[in-house]
Amino acid sequence: MHTIKKYTFLLLIIPLLSFTLHKYYLSLTKIDYVNESKSLQITMRIFIDDLESTLNKINNKSFELDTKTELEDSNIYIENYLFEQFKVSINGSISKYKYLGKKYENDVVYLFIEIKNISEIKSIEIKNRMLMETFPEQQNIIKLNINNKKKSFILTTKNDNDLLKLQDR
Amino acid sequence: MNMPQLKLSIFGAYNRNLQKMKKLGYLFLSILFITATSLAQEVEKKERKPGHRNLSKFRQLKQELPTPNKQHTASGAPGYEYTQQQVDYVMNISIDEDTNKLYGDQVITYHNRSKDNLEYLWVQLDQNMRARDSKTPEVKASSFNSIFNDPITFTENYLKESFDGGFNIEYVKDAQGKDLSHMVNRTMMRVDLPVPLVSGATFVFKMKWWYNIPPYIEVNGRSGYEPFPDGNNNYTIAQFFPRLAVYNNVEGWQNMQFWGRSEWALEFGNYDVKLTVPADHIVDATGELQNEKEVLTKEQRKRWELARKSFKDPVFIVTQEEAEKAEKERSTKTKTWHFNAKNVRDFGFASSRKYIWDAMAVNINGKSVLAVSLYPKEGNPLWEEHSTRVVANTLEEYSKMTFDYPYSKAVSVHAAKQGMEYPMISFNYGRPQPDGSYSDRVKNGMIGVITHEVGHNFFPMIVNSDERQWSWMDEGINSFVEILAELDYDPNFDTGNLPKDIVAYMSIDQDQLSPIMTQGDNVFNFGPNAYTKPAAGLYMLRNTIMGPELFDHAFRTYSKRWMFKHPTPADFFRTMEDASAMDLDWFWRGWFYSTDYNDVGVKSVKSYYTTDKPTEKAIAELKRYNLPLENYKDYLIFFAEGEPSANEILKKTTDIQVLKNYMSRLSESEKEELKETPNYFYEVTYEKPGGLVLPLIVDITYEDGETERKSYPAQIWNKNDAEVKKVYATAKKITNILVDPDLETADIDMTNNSWPKKKQDSQFDTFKKELKN
Repeated sequence: MHTIKKYTFLLLIIPLLSFTLHKYYLSLTKIDYVNESKSLQITMRIFIDDLESTLNKINNKSFELDTKTELEDSNIYIENYLFEQFKVSINGSISKYKYLGKKYENDVVYLFIEIKNISEIKSIEIKNRMLMETFPEQQNIIKLNINNKKKSFILTTKNDNDLLKLQDR
Repeated sequence: MNMPQLKLSIFGAYNRNLQKMKKLGYLFLSILFITATSLAQEVEKKERKPGHRNLSKFRQLKQELPTPNKQHTASGAPGYEYTQQQVDYVMNISIDEDTNKLYGDQVITYHNRSKDNLEYLWVQLDQNMRARDSKTPEVKASSFNSIFNDPITFTENYLKESFDGGFNIEYVKDAQGKDLSHMVNRTMMRVDLPVPLVSGATFVFKMKWWYNIPPYIEVNGRSGYEPFPDGNNNYTIAQFFPRLAVYNNVEGWQNMQFWGRSEWALEFGNYDVKLTVPADHIVDATGELQNEKEVLTKEQRKRWELARKSFKDPVFIVTQEEAEKAEKERSTKTKTWHFNAKNVRDFGFASSRKYIWDAMAVNINGKSVLAVSLYPKEGNPLWEEHSTRVVANTLEEYSKMTFDYPYSKAVSVHAAKQGMEYPMISFNYGRPQPDGSYSDRVKNGMIGVITHEVGHNFFPMIVNSDERQWSWMDEGINSFVEILAELDYDPNFDTGNLPKDIVAYMSIDQDQLSPIMTQGDNVFNFGPNAYTKPAAGLYMLRNTIMGPELFDHAFRTYSKRWMFKHPTPADFFRTMEDASAMDLDWFWRGWFYSTDYNDVGVKSVKSYYTTDKPTEKAIAELKRYNLPLENYKDYLIFFAEGEPSANEILKKTTDIQVLKNYMSRLSESEKEELKETPNYFYEVTYEKPGGLVLPLIVDITYEDGETERKSYPAQIWNKNDAEVKKVYATAKKITNILVDPDLETADIDMTNNSWPKKKQDSQFDTFKKELKN
């Protein structure tokens, strides 16, 4: 599942600057199963600048996220990037999901993803490599809430997926 | 008539005292049978635990803090034997725009103010971190993350030599011109003194050097130049000269290597610097310009006079129109700008022909200080609107929290990807789109970085802590004051440094966390560790733990005590306690010395109401102890657990005959002193899954919608670190309990904070609704 990663020497050196940029490489993905609508609701919170520099590198474009000059089709690129790096398997098979869109808030962007028509979840497996190729320190936190069974885990470059089994309780 | 009122909560005392009370005409007991039962039934079958040392989270920091002495006292102030060196520099610097080389020579005067004799001096050669033989890239782990490259990346990664940025030292001589023995150990150079430098003596030596100015965007640096497509460069130059290391009472020589992250420890001194640059460049630097007449036009000097009197709006010294004209030409001549700076710990400067230049006056407690900005047209319209105003606001707000800004000016220079501080001058990012538009993110980033870097004038440029050792002492303390300054500039500003903003960091895997009290080079997640966490902690200390009045006095005391000196963490911790009469060791221990996090919640709520009918539990309890109920029922008010059943309407406590009788015998003045009689009783158990001890803040909401705030000091946890119970006796029914309602204490898990458990509107649903509209 490798894509064209033009990560450069520059990005390998984690900033040496005395920044106010309080940089840490962290995303938070909340995954909730909603019984009434039989759907899985996924909200991913990531830093805008990290997503932007990653998209810029991969696509060799300047996305200018959250500006007036943001590329009109930025959502298409975000969706493609999601499809490559973020996988959800339900009951042992990879699920197709829909990227609904995004919302900016200060320096973070929320990505909204939905999987419909899930009648039962026996197991769910999440793989999340978002931003890891640009930021080796990246940690992606997953918070699952499936029928009130909660689990959270941290995905890193060393361990980029985790599984939650629900059937044998 | 004074009635004995006995409150018994431990059953052991119950029986004995009840006999006594029966003889009294009246008695009023409040009995918590639940507590009594559970205590009585507890069976001791546990194995005897081994003994332990004092594990209290409130124990003093005796082991962690260094023993106080006559240089750094127990109160946190400099002692009477405190000493500090002074180093003066006279330098000639020139920039070759064609080759991007910087040439310099310097005369260094070292004043040994310590009581010690020195055999050698240590000089910092920071540019050697960029030398070809630098060990900085060597210690970085690399992994093979990419299985294919485009040719550009491949060339960058595997074909290109690294940038050759080390110092090339031409000579190190004594005042008479004789070569001095010296030894370069990477970023540190030892200069051997011909004879030991005795206490109180002065040593003069000279150096000459040059280095390749780094294209800082490409090689990621704090200083260097940014090339523009129009062929011009923006030079933002610092760490450009060999600088003396600190010799102090705590470290001796602070000569830990510069690995690229942990910044500097520097001595104060006087600087006399001549900067030779292309004649059409505009220059600003640390210190006061000495030769205005030689380098500025008559018109520019006239405008400076206006700026010095303009307290409301910035005045242009060089307008955008003039800057745009200048950047189209290229002078082959040079000009020398001469700056003097007294009592500064470093020197930085900026030079370009692209600069727009504006300035305004700031009133600091009756003294006029200049706020100045330098930026190319690429920074506009954002920069002309905000930069100088933010500088002015920063000087004002920081002065309120510390001391009156003692220097004559503060300059903010536009630099694409920098945020870096030097005395009186800083390099800051924030660039609009080519069409001049900019997002709030860019604008707020720019306001934030300018506030931060100008704020560094106070920490560490004046309160001169050892950055190499303790990044948080300048970055964290500065980020804290930055919050207050930013909120003053814009009350809705998202500072990113509040307690709520550190929650994500404090919840990550413990393997990825370091205590704040860790030397900077060894810290994981440097940003939140050295900036946000200490800033959020100090904000919490000010607003939640100490209160602004106590905090501000103590903080100002620390700032004034260590102004133009070298403080250590212990000096800060001790002064904050010394000046406030608050023991804060528990806070430093938890927030600064550990990676513990805060998580507090409501574990359970038991509700009770009063009744004159003996409850089953009360009957059972009395029976167990062989106390005939009929003897007591007219003397007791009973607490029933839960809610009254449907056919049993809640009786007001004041309607209970036992109490009524008792009350009727009270004098009018005694009645007046009584509080409102409660009808509802709650025993709330607060649990603390987190390791930190912090104040417990609770909002209690009543049935009529009124909310009451309870603030318990952190010491509420000093007997039981896991949970604590509180009883609330209220006239109105409690409908809601919420822990940390204003997100003041960085609670990492809010799901256990409310009673009853709240179902929150999901962000997802909100977004979907928005999509539909």
